[in-house]
Amino acid sequence: MADVVTVPQVRPVQPALRFLRVIPGVLLLAAVGYAGKLLEQNVGAYAKAHHWTFPNIEYVLWAIVLGLVISNTVGVPEIFRTGVATYEFWLKAGIVLLGARFLLGDILKLGGVSLVLVAIEIVGSLAFMTFLGRLFKLKPKLTTLLAVGSAVCGVSAIIATKGAIEADDEDSSFSIAAILALGALALFTFPVIGHFLHLSDRAYGLWAGLGVDNTAEATAAGALYSDAAGKLAVLVKSTRNAMIGFVVLGYAIYWAGKGQAQSVGNKAAFLWQKFPKFVLGFLVISVLATYHFFNKDQVGALANLSRWAFLLTFAGVGLRTNFGEMRKQGLRPFAVGAIGEVVIAGFTLALVYGAAKIFGW
Amino acid sequence: MSAEVEAKKTGSLWKLSLDTWAVLLAFLLALLVRTGVFKHIPW
Repeated sequence: MADVVTVPQVRPVQPALRFLRVIPGVLLLAAVGYAGKLLEQNVGAYAKAHHWTFPNIEYVLWAIVLGLVISNTVGVPEIFRTGVATYEFWLKAGIVLLGARFLLGDILKLGGVSLVLVAIEIVGSLAFMTFLGRLFKLKPKLTTLLAVGSAVCGVSAIIATKGAIEADDEDSSFSIAAILALGALALFTFPVIGHFLHLSDRAYGLWAGLGVDNTAEATAAGALYSDAAGKLAVLVKSTRNAMIGFVVLGYAIYWAGKGQAQSVGNKAAFLWQKFPKFVLGFLVISVLATYHFFNKDQVGALANLSRWAFLLTFAGVGLRTNFGEMRKQGLRPFAVGAIGEVVIAGFTLALVYGAAKIFGW
Repeated sequence: MSAEVEAKKTGSLWKLSLDTWAVLLAFLLALLVRTGVFKHIPW
Protein backbone atom coordinates (compact mmCIF):
# COMPACT_ATOMS: atom_id res chain seq x y z
CA MET A 1 0.00 0.00 0.00
CA ALA A 2 2.82 2.33 0.94
CA ASP A 3 4.45 1.70 -2.46
CA VAL A 4 1.28 2.74 -4.26
CA VAL A 5 1.24 6.04 -2.39
CA THR A 6 4.97 6.78 -2.56
CA VAL A 7 5.77 6.13 -6.21
CA PRO A 8 3.45 8.65 -7.88
CA GLN A 9 4.62 11.34 -5.43
CA VAL A 10 8.33 10.84 -6.10
CA ARG A 11 8.19 10.50 -9.89
CA PRO A 12 6.83 13.82 -11.13
CA VAL A 13 7.82 16.13 -8.25
CA GLN A 14 11.53 15.52 -7.68
CA PRO A 15 12.95 16.37 -11.14
CA ALA A 16 10.51 19.27 -11.52
CA LEU A 17 11.52 20.70 -8.14
CA ARG A 18 15.17 20.28 -8.99
CA PHE A 19 14.58 22.14 -12.23
CA LEU A 20 12.66 24.93 -10.51
CA ARG A 21 15.38 25.38 -7.90
CA VAL A 22 18.02 26.22 -10.51
CA ILE A 23 15.95 28.88 -12.30
CA PRO A 24 16.67 31.91 -10.00
CA GLY A 25 20.41 31.26 -10.07
CA VAL A 26 20.52 30.73 -13.84
CA LEU A 27 18.62 34.00 -14.29
CA LEU A 28 21.19 35.70 -12.04
CA LEU A 29 24.02 34.22 -14.16
CA ALA A 30 22.30 35.53 -17.30
CA ALA A 31 21.70 38.98 -15.77
CA VAL A 32 25.29 39.37 -14.56
CA GLY A 33 26.73 38.02 -17.82
CA TYR A 34 24.50 40.23 -19.96
CA ALA A 35 25.33 43.27 -17.82
CA GLY A 36 29.00 42.50 -18.54
CA LYS A 37 28.24 42.42 -22.27
CA LEU A 38 26.36 45.74 -22.09
CA LEU A 39 29.21 47.32 -20.10
CA GLU A 40 31.74 46.21 -22.72
CA GLN A 41 29.69 47.84 -25.49
CA ASN A 42 28.65 51.00 -23.68
CA VAL A 43 31.68 51.91 -21.58
CA GLY A 44 33.94 51.71 -24.64
CA ALA A 45 31.52 53.77 -26.77
CA TYR A 46 31.06 56.36 -23.99
CA ALA A 47 34.81 56.72 -23.49
CA LYS A 48 35.33 57.11 -27.24
CA ALA A 49 32.55 59.71 -27.55
CA HIS A 50 34.15 61.75 -24.77
CA HIS A 51 37.69 61.31 -26.17
CA TRP A 52 38.85 59.45 -23.05
CA THR A 53 41.71 57.00 -23.11
CA PHE A 54 40.12 53.87 -21.67
CA PRO A 55 41.27 50.28 -22.23
CA ASN A 56 38.85 48.04 -24.10
CA ILE A 57 37.63 45.76 -21.32
CA GLU A 58 36.03 42.58 -22.65
CA TYR A 59 32.68 41.25 -21.40
CA VAL A 60 34.60 38.32 -19.89
CA LEU A 61 36.30 40.58 -17.35
CA TRP A 62 33.20 42.71 -16.70
CA ALA A 63 31.10 39.60 -15.99
CA ILE A 64 33.73 38.15 -13.62
CA VAL A 65 34.28 41.45 -11.81
CA LEU A 66 30.52 42.07 -11.41
CA GLY A 67 30.14 38.56 -10.02
CA LEU A 68 33.08 39.05 -7.64
CA VAL A 69 31.65 42.35 -6.37
CA ILE A 70 28.25 40.75 -5.65
CA SER A 71 29.76 37.66 -4.03
CA ASN A 72 32.18 39.59 -1.81
CA THR A 73 29.84 42.45 -0.76
CA VAL A 74 26.16 41.55 -0.44
CA GLY A 75 26.84 37.83 -1.02
CA VAL A 76 24.80 35.38 -3.09
CA PRO A 77 21.46 34.66 -1.34
CA GLU A 78 20.58 31.01 -0.74
CA ILE A 79 17.79 30.99 -3.35
CA PHE A 80 20.31 31.66 -6.15
CA ARG A 81 23.05 29.24 -5.09
CA THR A 82 21.78 26.05 -6.75
CA GLY A 83 21.43 27.83 -10.08
CA VAL A 84 24.76 29.64 -9.80
CA ALA A 85 26.42 26.24 -9.26
CA THR A 86 25.29 25.25 -12.79
CA TYR A 87 28.03 27.43 -14.31
CA GLU A 88 30.13 24.29 -14.93
CA PHE A 89 27.23 22.75 -16.83
CA TRP A 90 27.12 25.78 -19.17
CA LEU A 91 30.90 25.66 -19.50
CA LYS A 92 30.79 22.05 -20.68
CA ALA A 93 27.89 22.65 -23.08
CA GLY A 94 29.81 25.69 -24.41
CA ILE A 95 32.95 23.64 -24.98
CA VAL A 96 31.01 20.96 -26.91
CA LEU A 97 29.44 23.66 -29.14
CA LEU A 98 32.86 25.31 -29.59
CA GLY A 99 33.89 22.09 -31.38
CA ALA A 100 32.12 23.53 -34.48
CA ARG A 101 34.95 26.07 -34.78
CA PHE A 102 37.68 23.42 -34.87
CA LEU A 103 38.56 21.36 -37.90
CA LEU A 104 39.62 17.84 -37.07
CA GLY A 105 43.05 18.40 -38.70
CA ASP A 106 43.72 21.37 -36.40
CA ILE A 107 42.72 19.33 -33.36
CA LEU A 108 45.03 16.48 -34.34
CA LYS A 109 47.90 18.88 -35.05
CA LEU A 110 47.49 21.11 -31.98
CA GLY A 111 46.19 18.27 -29.83
CA GLY A 112 49.28 16.20 -30.67
CA VAL A 113 51.63 19.00 -29.61
CA SER A 114 49.57 19.81 -26.53
CA LEU A 115 49.34 16.12 -25.57
CA VAL A 116 53.14 15.91 -25.29
CA LEU A 117 53.29 19.18 -23.31
CA VAL A 118 50.37 18.09 -21.11
CA ALA A 119 52.12 14.81 -20.30
CA ILE A 120 55.30 16.67 -19.29
CA GLU A 121 53.26 19.23 -17.30
CA ILE A 122 51.31 16.53 -15.41
CA VAL A 123 54.38 14.50 -14.45
CA GLY A 124 56.36 17.63 -13.44
CA SER A 125 53.47 19.15 -11.47
CA LEU A 126 52.61 15.93 -9.62
CA ALA A 127 56.25 15.43 -8.63
CA PHE A 128 56.77 19.02 -7.51
CA MET A 129 53.51 19.30 -5.54
CA THR A 130 54.25 15.99 -3.79
CA PHE A 131 57.71 17.28 -2.87
CA LEU A 132 56.21 20.56 -1.55
CA GLY A 133 53.52 18.75 0.45
CA ARG A 134 56.19 16.65 2.16
CA LEU A 135 58.39 19.72 2.76
CA PHE A 136 55.48 21.54 4.46
CA LYS A 137 54.49 18.34 6.31
CA LEU A 138 50.93 18.33 4.93
CA LYS A 139 48.83 15.18 5.40
CA PRO A 140 49.67 12.70 2.58
CA LYS A 141 46.11 12.56 1.18
CA LEU A 142 45.83 16.36 1.28
CA THR A 143 49.10 16.48 -0.67
CA THR A 144 47.66 14.03 -3.21
CA LEU A 145 44.53 16.18 -3.67
CA LEU A 146 46.55 19.37 -4.11
CA ALA A 147 48.89 17.63 -6.56
CA VAL A 148 46.04 16.28 -8.68
CA GLY A 149 44.19 19.62 -8.56
CA SER A 150 47.27 21.49 -9.77
CA ALA A 151 48.41 18.95 -12.33
CA VAL A 152 45.16 17.92 -14.03
CA CYS A 153 41.96 19.86 -13.80
CA GLY A 154 41.24 21.67 -10.60
CA VAL A 155 38.03 21.01 -8.71
CA SER A 156 36.74 18.11 -10.87
CA ALA A 157 40.00 16.22 -10.40
CA ILE A 158 39.96 16.82 -6.64
CA ILE A 159 36.38 15.56 -6.33
CA ALA A 160 37.12 12.49 -8.48
CA THR A 161 40.29 11.71 -6.50
CA LYS A 162 38.63 12.29 -3.12
CA GLY A 163 36.16 9.48 -3.80
CA ALA A 164 38.79 7.14 -5.21
CA ILE A 165 41.34 7.49 -2.37
CA GLU A 166 38.76 7.99 0.42
CA ALA A 167 40.18 11.35 1.53
CA ASP A 168 38.57 13.47 4.30
CA ASP A 169 35.97 16.12 3.49
CA GLU A 170 38.20 18.63 5.25
CA ASP A 171 41.18 17.81 3.01
CA SER A 172 39.11 18.18 -0.15
CA SER A 173 37.64 21.51 1.09
CA PHE A 174 41.17 22.79 1.75
CA SER A 175 42.35 21.73 -1.69
CA ILE A 176 39.31 23.10 -3.53
CA ALA A 177 39.59 26.45 -1.71
CA ALA A 178 43.30 26.72 -2.56
CA ILE A 179 42.77 25.81 -6.22
CA LEU A 180 39.84 28.24 -6.59
CA ALA A 181 41.70 31.13 -4.93
CA LEU A 182 44.76 30.55 -7.10
CA GLY A 183 42.56 30.20 -10.20
CA ALA A 184 41.03 33.61 -9.44
CA LEU A 185 44.51 35.12 -9.13
CA ALA A 186 45.60 33.48 -12.40
CA LEU A 187 42.67 35.14 -14.18
CA PHE A 188 44.16 38.55 -13.51
CA THR A 189 47.89 37.75 -13.67
CA PHE A 190 48.13 35.51 -16.76
CA PRO A 191 46.83 38.08 -19.32
CA VAL A 192 49.05 40.82 -17.83
CA ILE A 193 52.16 38.61 -17.99
CA GLY A 194 51.20 37.43 -21.50
CA HIS A 195 50.97 41.02 -22.78
CA PHE A 196 54.16 41.99 -20.94
CA LEU A 197 56.04 39.14 -22.65
CA HIS A 198 54.33 39.87 -26.02
CA LEU A 199 53.23 36.24 -26.31
CA SER A 200 51.49 35.30 -29.55
CA ASP A 201 47.85 34.14 -29.31
CA ARG A 202 48.98 30.58 -29.87
CA ALA A 203 51.73 30.65 -27.23
CA TYR A 204 49.48 32.37 -24.69
CA GLY A 205 46.52 30.03 -25.32
CA LEU A 206 48.82 27.06 -24.85
CA TRP A 207 50.20 28.55 -21.62
CA ALA A 208 46.73 29.34 -20.19
CA GLY A 209 45.53 25.82 -21.00
CA LEU A 210 48.59 24.24 -19.38
CA GLY A 211 49.07 26.58 -16.42
CA VAL A 212 45.58 27.51 -15.14
CA ASP A 213 43.98 24.70 -13.13
CA ASN A 214 40.22 24.98 -13.29
CA THR A 215 38.57 24.66 -16.71
CA ALA A 216 36.34 27.72 -16.20
CA GLU A 217 39.29 29.92 -15.20
CA ALA A 218 41.48 28.55 -18.02
CA THR A 219 38.71 29.35 -20.55
CA ALA A 220 38.27 32.84 -19.10
CA ALA A 221 42.02 33.54 -18.88
CA GLY A 222 42.35 32.56 -22.56
CA ALA A 223 39.31 34.61 -23.67
CA LEU A 224 40.64 37.65 -21.78
CA TYR A 225 43.70 37.65 -24.06
CA SER A 226 42.00 37.08 -27.43
CA ASP A 227 39.40 34.93 -29.15
CA ALA A 228 42.10 32.76 -30.79
CA ALA A 229 43.96 32.34 -27.48
CA GLY A 230 40.67 31.39 -25.78
CA LYS A 231 39.99 28.68 -28.37
CA LEU A 232 43.43 27.16 -27.93
CA ALA A 233 43.27 27.39 -24.13
CA VAL A 234 40.03 25.34 -24.23
CA LEU A 235 41.61 22.72 -26.50
CA VAL A 236 44.73 22.32 -24.33
CA LYS A 237 42.71 22.31 -21.10
CA SER A 238 40.40 19.64 -22.55
CA THR A 239 43.47 17.54 -23.37
CA ARG A 240 44.52 17.89 -19.71
CA ASN A 241 41.00 16.97 -18.58
CA ALA A 242 41.12 13.82 -20.72
CA MET A 243 44.01 12.59 -18.57
CA ILE A 244 42.01 12.75 -15.33
CA GLY A 245 41.01 9.06 -15.33
CA PHE A 246 44.58 7.80 -15.67
CA VAL A 247 45.91 10.03 -12.88
CA VAL A 248 43.05 9.21 -10.50
CA LEU A 249 43.41 5.49 -11.29
CA GLY A 250 47.14 5.68 -10.52
CA TYR A 251 46.50 7.29 -7.14
CA ALA A 252 43.60 4.92 -6.35
CA ILE A 253 45.91 1.92 -6.94
CA TYR A 254 48.69 3.57 -4.88
CA TRP A 255 46.43 4.21 -1.84
CA ALA A 256 44.74 0.81 -2.16
CA GLY A 257 48.22 -0.74 -2.11
CA LYS A 258 48.81 1.01 1.21
CA GLY A 259 45.53 -0.40 2.52
CA GLN A 260 44.01 3.09 2.86
CA ALA A 261 41.46 2.91 0.02
CA GLN A 262 39.31 0.28 -1.68
CA SER A 263 40.99 -1.58 -4.52
CA VAL A 264 39.86 -0.83 -8.08
CA GLY A 265 37.99 -3.77 -9.68
CA ASN A 266 37.30 -3.13 -13.37
CA LYS A 267 39.94 -0.61 -14.49
CA ALA A 268 38.35 0.05 -17.90
CA ALA A 269 34.99 0.85 -16.26
CA PHE A 270 36.79 3.09 -13.75
CA LEU A 271 38.51 5.01 -16.57
CA TRP A 272 35.24 5.43 -18.47
CA GLN A 273 33.43 6.63 -15.34
CA LYS A 274 36.08 9.30 -14.69
CA PHE A 275 36.54 10.32 -18.33
CA PRO A 276 35.09 13.79 -19.03
CA LYS A 277 32.32 13.09 -21.55
CA PHE A 278 32.27 16.69 -22.83
CA VAL A 279 35.66 16.05 -24.47
CA LEU A 280 34.00 13.35 -26.58
CA GLY A 281 31.08 15.68 -27.35
CA PHE A 282 33.54 18.37 -28.46
CA LEU A 283 35.23 15.88 -30.82
CA VAL A 284 31.89 14.69 -32.28
CA ILE A 285 30.79 18.27 -33.10
CA SER A 286 34.22 19.00 -34.55
CA VAL A 287 34.06 15.89 -36.81
CA LEU A 288 30.57 16.94 -38.00
CA ALA A 289 31.82 20.47 -38.76
CA THR A 290 34.88 19.11 -40.58
CA TYR A 291 32.67 16.99 -42.86
CA HIS A 292 30.34 19.97 -43.59
CA PHE A 293 27.36 18.67 -41.64
CA PHE A 294 26.84 22.35 -40.75
CA ASN A 295 26.98 25.17 -43.31
CA LYS A 296 28.88 28.40 -42.65
CA ASP A 297 25.89 30.21 -41.10
CA GLN A 298 25.13 27.25 -38.88
CA VAL A 299 28.76 27.14 -37.66
CA GLY A 300 28.39 30.85 -36.82
CA ALA A 301 25.17 30.15 -34.93
CA LEU A 302 26.81 27.32 -32.94
CA ALA A 303 29.78 29.55 -32.13
CA ASN A 304 27.39 32.22 -30.81
CA LEU A 305 25.51 29.66 -28.72
CA SER A 306 28.88 28.65 -27.28
CA ARG A 307 29.59 32.32 -26.42
CA TRP A 308 26.26 32.63 -24.59
CA ALA A 309 27.06 29.49 -22.59
CA PHE A 310 30.48 30.91 -21.69
CA LEU A 311 28.83 34.20 -20.69
CA LEU A 312 26.90 32.31 -17.98
CA THR A 313 30.11 30.51 -16.98
CA PHE A 314 32.13 33.69 -16.53
CA ALA A 315 29.39 35.25 -14.40
CA GLY A 316 29.42 32.07 -12.30
CA VAL A 317 33.20 32.21 -11.83
CA GLY A 318 32.82 35.62 -10.18
CA LEU A 319 29.68 34.77 -8.21
CA ARG A 320 31.05 31.63 -6.59
CA THR A 321 34.43 33.18 -5.60
CA ASN A 322 34.24 34.40 -2.02
CA PHE A 323 37.61 35.44 -0.63
CA GLY A 324 36.30 35.57 2.97
CA GLU A 325 35.27 31.90 2.89
CA MET A 326 38.59 30.95 1.28
CA ARG A 327 40.54 32.70 4.07
CA LYS A 328 38.73 30.56 6.65
CA GLN A 329 40.25 27.39 5.14
CA GLY A 330 43.71 28.16 6.54
CA LEU A 331 47.02 29.32 5.18
CA ARG A 332 49.30 26.29 4.94
CA PRO A 333 47.58 24.42 2.09
CA PHE A 334 47.11 27.76 0.36
CA ALA A 335 50.84 28.51 0.72
CA VAL A 336 51.75 25.11 -0.73
CA GLY A 337 49.29 25.66 -3.57
CA ALA A 338 50.57 29.20 -4.22
CA ILE A 339 54.24 28.20 -4.32
CA GLY A 340 53.36 25.23 -6.50
CA GLU A 341 51.26 27.31 -8.90
CA VAL A 342 53.98 29.94 -9.34
CA VAL A 343 56.56 27.27 -10.10
CA ILE A 344 54.15 25.40 -12.42
CA ALA A 345 53.29 28.67 -14.23
CA GLY A 346 57.03 29.30 -14.78
CA PHE A 347 57.61 25.68 -15.81
CA THR A 348 54.72 25.66 -18.31
CA LEU A 349 55.82 29.03 -19.69
CA ALA A 350 59.27 27.53 -20.33
CA LEU A 351 57.59 24.55 -22.06
CA VAL A 352 55.59 26.92 -24.28
CA TYR A 353 58.73 28.92 -25.14
CA GLY A 354 60.46 25.65 -26.04
CA ALA A 355 57.53 24.54 -28.23
CA ALA A 356 57.35 27.99 -29.89
CA LYS A 357 61.03 27.75 -30.75
CA ILE A 358 60.72 24.23 -32.16
CA PHE A 359 57.55 24.92 -34.19
CA GLY A 360 58.45 28.51 -35.16
CA TRP A 361 55.28 30.16 -33.66
CA MET B 1 5.00 -2.81 -9.72
CA SER B 2 5.49 -1.51 -13.23
CA ALA B 3 5.10 2.05 -11.91
CA GLU B 4 7.83 1.35 -9.39
CA VAL B 5 10.17 0.04 -12.07
CA GLU B 6 9.35 3.05 -14.23
CA ALA B 7 10.07 5.37 -11.31
CA LYS B 8 13.43 3.69 -10.80
CA LYS B 9 14.18 4.12 -14.49
CA THR B 10 13.25 7.80 -14.32
CA GLY B 11 15.49 8.15 -11.28
CA SER B 12 18.48 6.61 -13.06
CA LEU B 13 17.94 8.87 -16.07
CA TRP B 14 18.12 11.92 -13.81
CA LYS B 15 21.31 10.49 -12.30
CA LEU B 16 23.24 10.99 -15.56
CA SER B 17 26.41 12.97 -14.87
CA LEU B 18 26.54 16.73 -15.33
CA ASP B 19 28.96 16.13 -18.21
CA THR B 20 26.50 13.87 -20.02
CA TRP B 21 23.61 16.32 -19.59
CA ALA B 22 25.78 19.14 -20.94
CA VAL B 23 26.71 17.03 -23.99
CA LEU B 24 23.05 16.09 -24.59
CA LEU B 25 21.97 19.75 -24.41
CA ALA B 26 24.75 20.79 -26.81
CA PHE B 27 23.80 18.01 -29.28
CA LEU B 28 20.15 19.04 -29.09
CA LEU B 29 21.05 22.69 -29.78
CA ALA B 30 23.31 21.62 -32.67
CA LEU B 31 20.44 19.56 -34.11
CA LEU B 32 18.02 22.48 -33.81
CA VAL B 33 20.49 24.71 -35.63
CA ARG B 34 21.11 22.05 -38.29
CA THR B 35 17.39 21.52 -38.94
CA GLY B 36 16.78 25.26 -39.21
CA VAL B 37 14.66 25.65 -36.05
CA PHE B 38 17.26 28.18 -34.85
CA LYS B 39 18.25 30.10 -37.96
CA HIS B 40 20.22 32.95 -36.52
CA ILE B 41 21.74 33.27 -33.07
CA PRO B 42 22.69 36.89 -32.40
CA TRP B 43 25.70 37.93 -30.31
